[in-house]
Amino acid sequence: MKETENAQRGKGWKTAVYLLLALLLYAYGVQVTNVNLEEPLEPRRQQNLVGLIRQLARPDLFSYANETRSMDISLRMPCPDEPKGSQLGSEGRTIVLAPNCVNTTQDPLRLTGEGFPANASGVVIWHPPGSTTTRRVAEFRADGSGNFIVRFTMPDVRETADLQRLEIVELLDRRITGSSDTLKLTLDRILETILMAFMASTVGTILAVPISFLAARNLMTDVKMPQISLMLAVILAPIGGWLGGWLTRWLLQAAAGGQALVGLILLLVVIGLLAVVLRLGGSLLDDSPKRWQQAGRWLLAGLLGLFGLGVVGNLGLDLGSWLTPRLGLLAFVGNFIFVMADFLLLLLPFFAGLAGVAAAMSLGGRLGQRLTERLSLGAAKLAMIGLTVVGTAVFTYALLFAANWVCLLGVCRWWPEAGQWLLLVSLLVGVVGGVLALRLQPKQQIAVGTAVYIFTRSTLNGLRAIEPVLMGFVFVVWVGIGPLAGTIVLIIHSIADLGKLFSEQVENIAEGPLEAVTATGANRLQTIVYAVVPQIVPHFIAFAFYRWDINVRMSTIIGFVGGGGIGLALQRATNLTQYRQASVMVIAIALVVIILDYVSAKIRSRII
Amino acid sequence: MLRVKNLTKVYEDGTVALKDVSFEVPAGEFVAVIGLSGSGKSTLLRCINRLIEPTSGEIWWDDVALSHITGEELRRARRRIGMIFQHFNLVDRSSVLRNVLSGRLGYVNPLASLLGRFPEADVARAYASLDRVGIRDKALNRADELSGGQRQRVGIARALMQEPEMILADEPVASLDPALAHSIMRHLQTINREDKITVLCSLHFLDLVQQYGTRAIALNAGELVFDGRPAEIDDQKFIDIYGREAERIG
Repeated sequence: MKETENAQRGKGWKTAVYLLLALLLYAYGVQVTNVNLEEPLEPRRQQNLVGLIRQLARPDLFSYANETRSMDISLRMPCPDEPKGSQLGSEGRTIVLAPNCVNTTQDPLRLTGEGFPANASGVVIWHPPGSTTTRRVAEFRADGSGNFIVRFTMPDVRETADLQRLEIVELLDRRITGSSDTLKLTLDRILETILMAFMASTVGTILAVPISFLAARNLMTDVKMPQISLMLAVILAPIGGWLGGWLTRWLLQAAAGGQALVGLILLLVVIGLLAVVLRLGGSLLDDSPKRWQQAGRWLLAGLLGLFGLGVVGNLGLDLGSWLTPRLGLLAFVGNFIFVMADFLLLLLPFFAGLAGVAAAMSLGGRLGQRLTERLSLGAAKLAMIGLTVVGTAVFTYALLFAANWVCLLGVCRWWPEAGQWLLLVSLLVGVVGGVLALRLQPKQQIAVGTAVYIFTRSTLNGLRAIEPVLMGFVFVVWVGIGPLAGTIVLIIHSIADLGKLFSEQVENIAEGPLEAVTATGANRLQTIVYAVVPQIVPHFIAFAFYRWDINVRMSTIIGFVGGGGIGLALQRATNLTQYRQASVMVIAIALVVIILDYVSAKIRSRII
Repeated sequence: MLRVKNLTKVYEDGTVALKDVSFEVPAGEFVAVIGLSGSGKSTLLRCINRLIEPTSGEIWWDDVALSHITGEELRRARRRIGMIFQHFNLVDRSSVLRNVLSGRLGYVNPLASLLGRFPEADVARAYASLDRVGIRDKALNRADELSGGQRQRVGIARALMQEPEMILADEPVASLDPALAHSIMRHLQTINREDKITVLCSLHFLDLVQQYGTRAIALNAGELVFDGRPAEIDDQKFIDIYGREAERIG
């Protein structure tokens, strides 16, 4: 009884201490955030705030046809010895500016008007001497008897000998004639933003899907292979990649050049040959016992396909540049064809290289598996150690080569001259690896999957941790100010973000079907396609839409550092203190975000 | 002939699920595996097709060391062992046909299957399997539109697609009502008798064991406590298997 009471009392004390700590933290917070309630209450600040809000509340949506009459009055900066007022009269209207000079940008000026029509309104426009731009410094509205008084200052005025011209523009009549230039620009840019976000979300989703499988713990922890397989895969990977890339480049070169007509004929020939290869001797997809023959046909079909794609790419370039000047309003279609063909030709060697790497690694894995099973224990151990030396050396060389490449950018100073030492160090590390491998058994399963999982996860987390704004700076420098830089940043961030979200979905799937499909003797890839994919597709689609919504918002921020879209326009408007223009853009962003938010919520609730 | 020798499984948290279990099953038998929940029935069945890695011991199937093969060899062994689960383990969002066809994945060309293409013969076989368990008309429905009994029949059809020589059934009727349970057990019995497929089936109810099993083995806390004909389980054996507090029902 006593003990529980004590425990209760202890608990009360603890709460009090925590509360006190929180209070202290708060007090320090107030100190560092410079909480100051005096300054916002100053009249000058309040005036500025009212002016700003007034502009924001009147978005520049329409263009007007104005009928006006103007009067000029002049101002001096700096003041002569004796400041005076100026008076001007015209058609019964009298205006007085007092004083008629300023010494600083803060000096107050007073403009009074008499004899104007009742409720007449207008603006005061400043024409800085020697400048072609003008600036609105004040607005006025007369009362019922045609009088007004406005007070204003001359921001940014500089000392000159010349007179500063102030134009008093009285608005006589005003009609809406259409949408303002700002509105047109905003619509243009918001469309650009939506399309940027759309492209980034789709490309990001497509690339994030395979990456998310590598970052899913439940799929990867079971991936194990003996050391021989692992090392063979590492050794064969660069060979496969080089072979794939080199073959493709060679095929693309063969496909390039020549007339469009020749290209068309070539394409028809390739399609015919492909059909022959695919059809003759049964379908490629049958499980025929003649594995080598089948593999040969696959290879032939692949080479023909690559050559065909090369021809298609070149035809696309021709078609695109032929169409663009002929399509008029639809010129963007021609441009699209050209850009896509260009992309195809540029990326084909890369993807073929990746495919080569994948094929070589799979081949190495299988070969290693078979070797491990067939070889006697001693021979297997010998092979394992030998392969470990070579494999570790290859891996180290690749790492050093990458580091060397980065260092060529001038990042590190201590890096010695590249060359023979790369090879030497790699071999040395390889030998060390071989010695370490002495402790391994040939049949021991190495948890490769876990290593890949950890690597992928950390890379994704690292990429997510880098502020998109910072990436924006880098890509603006690399590819120039504009939407392309923004799109690339959004793609990278989408991949990192979706990769993590997707992999969490994969980790949350029901394990039952996975178990069942594995039990049928399906291989890893089949298990993923038959047991995992059906479970995650709806979630992936929902997340992709959600990402589109995020990308629209994020592109606004990236636009501020030069990433194109509405953000860039908004930044320009605010920098020029054109708050009425900025107001239109903010409204447009808000509308798009609300609509996309609503649509993506609808779609998500329908799919899941 | 399936031979299990000194099979032991200790989980990473230290739980001993199987302790030195040895028994033999001649081909063609219908073996009922009984025991309390947590006695190691599921672990035993999953060790046989290596969904769970045994800690030590050997499992031989004819001349294949099921406990030690890996990679391609393991996949080839697995495709001859069908498995049926308590919770059916169907892919809910896929069609019944696709679920059944997935039983064929160990045989078909991997690339073709990734593209969703199966040889015509396999599609015909899938319909035949569904016909055999009486739900051919549901082939194109989504799996989650089916009732519990129907879903377990899809599970059986999927196992049949493997042309198995052995079927492991992990409490196949524990989620079903008694009438459905008998219907599913009769399907398994037919498969066992007509196709000469060895069946290892874990069960809860003793009357099912005695009605369908040609042999019974019992586990208690991971140890084999009974191996014999189901009729031999008298009151004393029952207490050995289920403990003193258990009461015999059914």
